[in-house]
Amino acid sequence: MRLQSNPIVKKDLQVTARSMRFSWGLFAYEAVVALAFLLGLHSIQASVDSYYGDGNVYQDLMNLFPVLAISQVCIVTLIVPVMTASSISGEKERQTFDIMMTTCMSPLSIVFGKVSSAVLRVLFYVMGSLPVMALSFVVGGLSWSVLFYFVLAVIVLSVFAGSVGILCSSLCKRSISAVILSFVMYFVLNLLTFSPLLVRRIWYWNEENMGECLLPLLFNPNVFLEEFFMQVMTGESILGSTGESNFIREDVGYFTYCFTYGKVWVFLSAGCILLLAFLFMLIAAWKIDPLNASAERIPIKRIQK
Amino acid sequence: MLYINNLTKKYGSFTAVRQLSLHIPEGDLFGFVGPNGAGKTTTIRMVCGLLRATSGSVKIGNVRGAVGSREMKRMIGYVPDFFGVYDNLKVREYMDMYGSMYGMYAREITKLADDLLELVNLSDKKEVYVDTLSRGMKQRLCVARALLHNPKLLLLDEPSSGLDPRARVEMKELLKNLHSMGKTILISSHILSELSEMCTSIGIMNHGQLITAGCMEEILYQLSGGKRFHIQISSGMETAVRMLQEHAGVELESVMENEVIITNSGTEEEISALIGELIQNKVILRGFYKEEGNLESLFMQLTGGGEPS
Ligand SMILES: Nc1ncnc2c1ncn2[C@@H]1O[C@H](COP(=O)(O)OP(=O)(O)OP(=O)(O)O)[C@@H](O)[C@H]1O
Ligand SMILES: [Mg+2]
Repeated sequence: MRLQSNPIVKKDLQVTARSMRFSWGLFAYEAVVALAFLLGLHSIQASVDSYYGDGNVYQDLMNLFPVLAISQVCIVTLIVPVMTASSISGEKERQTFDIMMTTCMSPLSIVFGKVSSAVLRVLFYVMGSLPVMALSFVVGGLSWSVLFYFVLAVIVLSVFAGSVGILCSSLCKRSISAVILSFVMYFVLNLLTFSPLLVRRIWYWNEENMGECLLPLLFNPNVFLEEFFMQVMTGESILGSTGESNFIREDVGYFTYCFTYGKVWVFLSAGCILLLAFLFMLIAAWKIDPLNASAERIPIKRIQK
Repeated sequence: MLYINNLTKKYGSFTAVRQLSLHIPEGDLFGFVGPNGAGKTTTIRMVCGLLRATSGSVKIGNVRGAVGSREMKRMIGYVPDFFGVYDNLKVREYMDMYGSMYGMYAREITKLADDLLELVNLSDKKEVYVDTLSRGMKQRLCVARALLHNPKLLLLDEPSSGLDPRARVEMKELLKNLHSMGKTILISSHILSELSEMCTSIGIMNHGQLITAGCMEEILYQLSGGKRFHIQISSGMETAVRMLQEHAGVELESVMENEVIITNSGTEEEISALIGELIQNKVILRGFYKEEGNLESLFMQLTGGGEPS
């Protein structure tokens, strides 16, 4: 399970480092981040110059950071599932999967290896953007630790997105369908966590009380992202503020009230998301084990015939 | 070494392998033959833990673990019938990767990989990308990879399919080499002449069933070969046919324009006596020979039957 000793991680990194696609991807990614930053600076400059600008350049510069950071996280959670969704089905298409399964690698360490190599690869992208991101700090007002938290959020969310991808990869025969399925699944998961709240709002529209309907949102990566950045940047988010919950005790259930207290939600949510990711990886590992009763799949070779 | 006991594989109602029992002793080079769809690949995949058997068991040496366990996987080197390689990976790194997948140390891998690449004649390709190798080279590389963790049992599924004649000979030499190094080898193939040259024992499969298995010479002898004789006759055909028909212990199998084929259930001396009689009766012989046991005809004979009921 150790990263550097996982042969898949080593091989994947070796192979990607050589591929032109990775270099171009890195170039494009950093170029987009830098360009977005320059555009941001330009619009700040424009607003300062304009008659209506309030002249608060510092605040504008500070706001540039979360905007760039959140959009980066979003891009990353788009890239990682594509990488992992094509990993297992890609091995099958390339007909290297059988050989891998006859080695001493357990299905779970194969899955871990695939997810961690995808996470590491996008971390290269994100790390490369850090100098640009750090430019928003030059005027002060933000702690340097925010950069560190940014990387943490990227890791949590890319592990989650990666595990969704690998689960779909273990379910599909073709990479392309695995990629599509993982986006659908990511979307459906988002929707599912909101559904209790929506249902309750529609059913009991005249009641203020939400009960514990917010709790499924602990598993929602987007809510996590919002809470995380708001808490890190300002100490106040939609759900909680420093030292208190944003809800009145009477409006929500007991657990919801406790969990929205201060930063509690962020930590809990990170735990829940990682747990769900782990569960997905376990299912994926179970699905790719050929000795499972459910693994009665037809080898690729026969489909091609 | 390899004990297969009542192994069965069903796909729905279709039985791909039926009640297969087989024992391959240590140090054997076992040839596994059978027509397309006989169930060879299915059997091999069940032995390596790539396919779940419907019933039956597989045991290797005195390993306690079941199929798919780590101990079992360490004992087996598997070369599939179809396999791919990764892009952008060098031969050396390819060996490295599979070595570490067996939990070997880097130094150990490097040393063994060097020796193995030497053995399969690829030492000059260490820094070449695997996806640029030719088919035959890939096949040899795959054999080297399968040997990396020093398995006792080597399972090869049609290792010479798609190879040119020279590469086939080289593959055969390689396997003979490995056999002399004491590995137990199971090889499935369609190229019977090749198998009959190198294998010590053989098993013939058809419709998911093992029809016969055992030592090469014994099996070939079992075939009518060894008891079939061709007699070529220049003149006196009628006399010969009449005599042969009347002779006890001899059965006339076919009569051609100037050749007859007989099967003899008696001893070889009786045949010699029979030939003497023929000559005395003014039959002029042009030739006379005993049919050699031939894997090809054995194969045709045993696999000719239709679906088993
Ligand atoms: N996944 C599967 N689903 C259904 N039937 C299958 C499957 N895999 C194999 N079979 C059937 O099992 C039988 C045995 O196939 P197998 O691949 O073992 O044959 P083989 O002896 O290796 O043939 P070949 O010489 O062509 O390689 C075939 O009739 C095949 O159609
Ligand atoms: Mg086959």
